[in-house]
Amino acid sequence: MSHLVLGFDLVIVAGLAWLAWQALFDRHRFSAVVHFMAFGLVMALVWVRLDALDIALAEAAIGAGVTGALLLAALGRLPATSGHAPGWRDSQWPLVLLALVTTLAATLTLAWVAWQLPRPGLAAPIGEALPNSGVNHAVTAVLLNLRAWDTLLEMTVMLTAVCLVWSLGPALMPYAPATSLPGLPALARLLHPLFLLVPAYLLWRGSHAPGGAFPAGAVLGAGGVLLVLTDAVPWMHEPRRQPLLRLLLAAGVLLFLAVALGGVLLAGTFLVIPASVAGTVILAVEVAAALSIALMLMAFYLYGEPGR
Amino acid sequence: MLHTTTAALLLLNAGVALWRLHRGPTSADRMLAAQLVTTSSIAVLLLLGAELEQPALVDVALLFGLLAAVATANFVTRTWTLLHEETGSREEASRD
Repeated sequence: MSHLVLGFDLVIVAGLAWLAWQALFDRHRFSAVVHFMAFGLVMALVWVRLDALDIALAEAAIGAGVTGALLLAALGRLPATSGHAPGWRDSQWPLVLLALVTTLAATLTLAWVAWQLPRPGLAAPIGEALPNSGVNHAVTAVLLNLRAWDTLLEMTVMLTAVCLVWSLGPALMPYAPATSLPGLPALARLLHPLFLLVPAYLLWRGSHAPGGAFPAGAVLGAGGVLLVLTDAVPWMHEPRRQPLLRLLLAAGVLLFLAVALGGVLLAGTFLVIPASVAGTVILAVEVAAALSIALMLMAFYLYGEPGR
Repeated sequence: MLHTTTAALLLLNAGVALWRLHRGPTSADRMLAAQLVTTSSIAVLLLLGAELEQPALVDVALLFGLLAAVATANFVTRTWTLLHEETGSREEASRD
């Protein structure tokens, strides 16, 4: 039995290493992108084996789904002649070797540090703090209460990335008109209810089981990407809707900041949520964060600033 | 035991798909191989979920299924673009 499980894990690890190598070094760009998408899938399986279901959910939604779609669409924007990446020039080889050595050294250092970490880790203190955090699931408690600062910074990073993408130029319209691919709008119409239902379910589950704002936002965003593909969200391109779009994009970060400042007023400390209202506040922040994450993913997909 | 054995077999099946993913030769072959990896992973997740009695694995499988549809839709629009926008890229779309 244990031999079987060990073999199972070894196959996953070997597949993961192979896919990572191909995604990085395959000169054929489309092949590299598809290898990256498969890498996300196998990575999610690895997180499942490591018993980290929250990360598996996020990896399945963001790594395998949305990032793969984003890379595929970016590839479609490149001229057809650039299907192959150019090979390395001779002068680049020392840099490649240096990068390999640095990566290897960093990996070994990280492995050494991880080995030195105190055991059994922080599970017990988090378990003690759980009753005052407003939720019953340890991961959600850490993400949105105990270490909410990290999550706030992550949201800010995503918002900055949207600003960067939009600063590149005006938004690109989807290539294929809906009339030439009639199956696409039909698929979007059939699937979109599911893309609304599943995030709602993930958000609701987040308070007591694996789920939460990030996977929910990513699935909602993937549904939105389907809508962008079928050209079904013309309001995003209308100049008079731009203030609303920007407000929604920033809603997650803004509400998070408001909660943080509310902590200063009520408890005297930045980002402290009083235990009596913690459940409600966390739910509100999660809903706003999921909506913002979904819109940010759709905003990446426009490849430029809309309404310009 | 039966669950784990079946899951291991399905994982090997996905390994065969990896070979096809690498070989191609057309982009449709590669995309279908990636979809085969997705389908096998869904089955592996459901089997593991039953074996380990972790119902949350069904959620991960659900996300795999949903997002595979988005990837395919993206692939179709990209291929359509290659076939219709530039005449010179028609061969590229069928070959790459």
